[in-house]
Amino acid sequence: MKINFTPEQDVFRQEIRSWLEQNVPNEPLLSLDTKQGFEQHREWEKKLNAGNWSMVTWPTEYGGRGLDLIEWLIFEEEYYRAEAPTRVNQNGVFLLGPTLMEFGTHEQKSKFLNAMATGDHIWAQGWSEPGAGSDMAAIRTTAVLENGCYKINGQKTWSSRATYADWTFGLFRTDLDSERHRGLSFILVPLNLPGITVRPIAQLDGEPGFAEIYFDDVTVPAENLLGVDGEGWKIAMATAGFERGLMLRSPARFQQTAAKLLQLYLDNESDCSPAMQANIVEAWAQSESYALSIYHTASKMLAGGSIGSESSLGKIFWSELDHMMHQTALKILGASAELSLASKHDSAKWIKGFMFSYAGPIYAGTNEIQKNIIAERLLGLPK
Amino acid sequence: MNFIFTEEQLQFKDTIKAFLNDECTPKSIRSGWASKQSFNQNRWKGLADLGVLGSNLPEDSGGLGMDQVALVLMVEEMGYAGLPEPAAEQTFLINDLLRMLPAEMQENIKDHHMSGESYISIAHPLAPNPLFLNESAGLLVFEKDSYYFVSKNDIEFEEVVSNDPSRELGKITSIKNTISSSENFDLLNSAVLSRGALMTAALLIGLSQKMIDLSSAYALDRTQFGKPIGSFQAVKHMLADVAVAIEFARPAVYRAAYSLSDNNPKSSLHCAHAKYMSTRAAEIACKNSIQAHGAMGYTWEMDLHIFMRKAWSLMACWGNENKQQDIIFHTLKSSKNELGVLYTF
Repeated sequence: MKINFTPEQDVFRQEIRSWLEQNVPNEPLLSLDTKQGFEQHREWEKKLNAGNWSMVTWPTEYGGRGLDLIEWLIFEEEYYRAEAPTRVNQNGVFLLGPTLMEFGTHEQKSKFLNAMATGDHIWAQGWSEPGAGSDMAAIRTTAVLENGCYKINGQKTWSSRATYADWTFGLFRTDLDSERHRGLSFILVPLNLPGITVRPIAQLDGEPGFAEIYFDDVTVPAENLLGVDGEGWKIAMATAGFERGLMLRSPARFQQTAAKLLQLYLDNESDCSPAMQANIVEAWAQSESYALSIYHTASKMLAGGSIGSESSLGKIFWSELDHMMHQTALKILGASAELSLASKHDSAKWIKGFMFSYAGPIYAGTNEIQKNIIAERLLGLPK
Repeated sequence: MNFIFTEEQLQFKDTIKAFLNDECTPKSIRSGWASKQSFNQNRWKGLADLGVLGSNLPEDSGGLGMDQVALVLMVEEMGYAGLPEPAAEQTFLINDLLRMLPAEMQENIKDHHMSGESYISIAHPLAPNPLFLNESAGLLVFEKDSYYFVSKNDIEFEEVVSNDPSRELGKITSIKNTISSSENFDLLNSAVLSRGALMTAALLIGLSQKMIDLSSAYALDRTQFGKPIGSFQAVKHMLADVAVAIEFARPAVYRAAYSLSDNNPKSSLHCAHAKYMSTRAAEIACKNSIQAHGAMGYTWEMDLHIFMRKAWSLMACWGNENKQQDIIFHTLKSSKNELGVLYTF
């Protein structure tokens, strides 16, 4: 055990830090859930890519930097420290990208990976349907293979980024007689095709962060199938695997929130009840623990270990932590906690984060589903 | 950055785990309770023979020269087994503090009171009733601003009954011939506080793991409504909550051990963090484990309470959750610019 960064890791940290210092916009971008903000974030993706900081964990053969997990964590720490913009193409770079590398054909890789890295293709996820939420195997949207094309009919929902995105990836039922996990295929669909209607859904904060996608005889070429027809479930599970789960929510984000929360408390200490100290300690202790756990896991993986259902433990932990921290912030703010972003009040970013923290225990598999997974796969309890 | 244990450390842990699995069964613990003799000399000798008791003494004093990182893994196993003998206290506290004591005190202890199997007890305002005085060769006592060592023969004490029958406690009524000092008191006191917090944290992780293992096994075995109760989501989710709490407490314990071995100036904070997280894990492990056992969990017959009682004692000793919370809060306040995203390591 040696829990220190190597000189090479420190050099890398300096490199990303100085690039971010020179390139992160001084003014925060508009929300990426607005048309204008979305394009601003696309420009940021292009800028990241120009500095070769867009897809740092991708292997060098695909234009990435081939960073290992520890270097990735360092990158994230600097990224959050610099308060750099949210990654609008997270779905592409972190979810679809590695999946394409594993399951894609040569042609698919050349067509999609670079366009993803440059921000030319921003991707939306297309998993959930009105009748298939936590129970994703209940997917009913069909894709029927006819004359070298899939004809798609049905509806996806809760599709993050779909309002302004260029493409979506998801699971479609290609074998109409199949049930549950069988007969599903992983297909890539451009969102500008005839027959597609994207209907934005206003979120709790009023912005269209996700959308419904209606498919009415939408025709996509068979070459947009990823992997083998009928084996989409396996590919989707790989997409949701640990490494990508880790990249979805690296610890730096929560440590940064905990640090800001401490500052907020100190700025308002004379107005706070001493009981708030317990919440401040909890925020620091848990975000610190989350970081330690992820570094511990990353070290195990670098030493050749593999991780499965353990990622469910992390999902529950960070989403509850995020909510607790924002709730604490609102308590500190007192009556100004009700002010919205439109009020231009300094405190309002906390209420925005507070509302978003309610989404954490729901998306990427509700915490209740994660608890079932933990109980069944880690504790050995029966289905 | 290499936050994992070596093969050697893991092997040593496995050896101890196997030994405790055979020698420290719930049945043997209960027989110690029945005879009011929880300190089992054979088991203690077994631990000495395995090298556990001297594991962290320097090699030139006949030890194995292990650091806190290796030790913490072993202590976790002692928690898992509910080991009554104070092997964690002997190694984590006494052996480790010994080299920091003034030369005269150190020599006296080494020459007259320490051999392969001898045990020295310890008392501190945060753990004021020393364990197993009858079996000890002597006692190291920390007071408000000084500390002293006293030979067993120079102590008179009365028995104090712990809620955990595996912990035979004493209260000193009179002493003579102490070797006392206040040299480097703050440094020593801080060292003992950190070690006490981390030792109990590691034991609590082991105990929590044991409680969830017992509960999962019970939930698989016990049927109601024609199914194992572990198939019901209400039970699953309760136990999953325990698994989450343990998962995120354990690395805090490992990091604190590394900090001590690395002389990290923030090791006091890291040890407080370890105890804070593992106390919270143990709290929910106790609460949800007894609930998963239903009325059986509330009986003397079920083994669960062997581990629950020890957890309750260890949560209280060497700084409880509130005490650790204060340490963390004051550190956060005084060094806010050195904590957070860039200062984990």
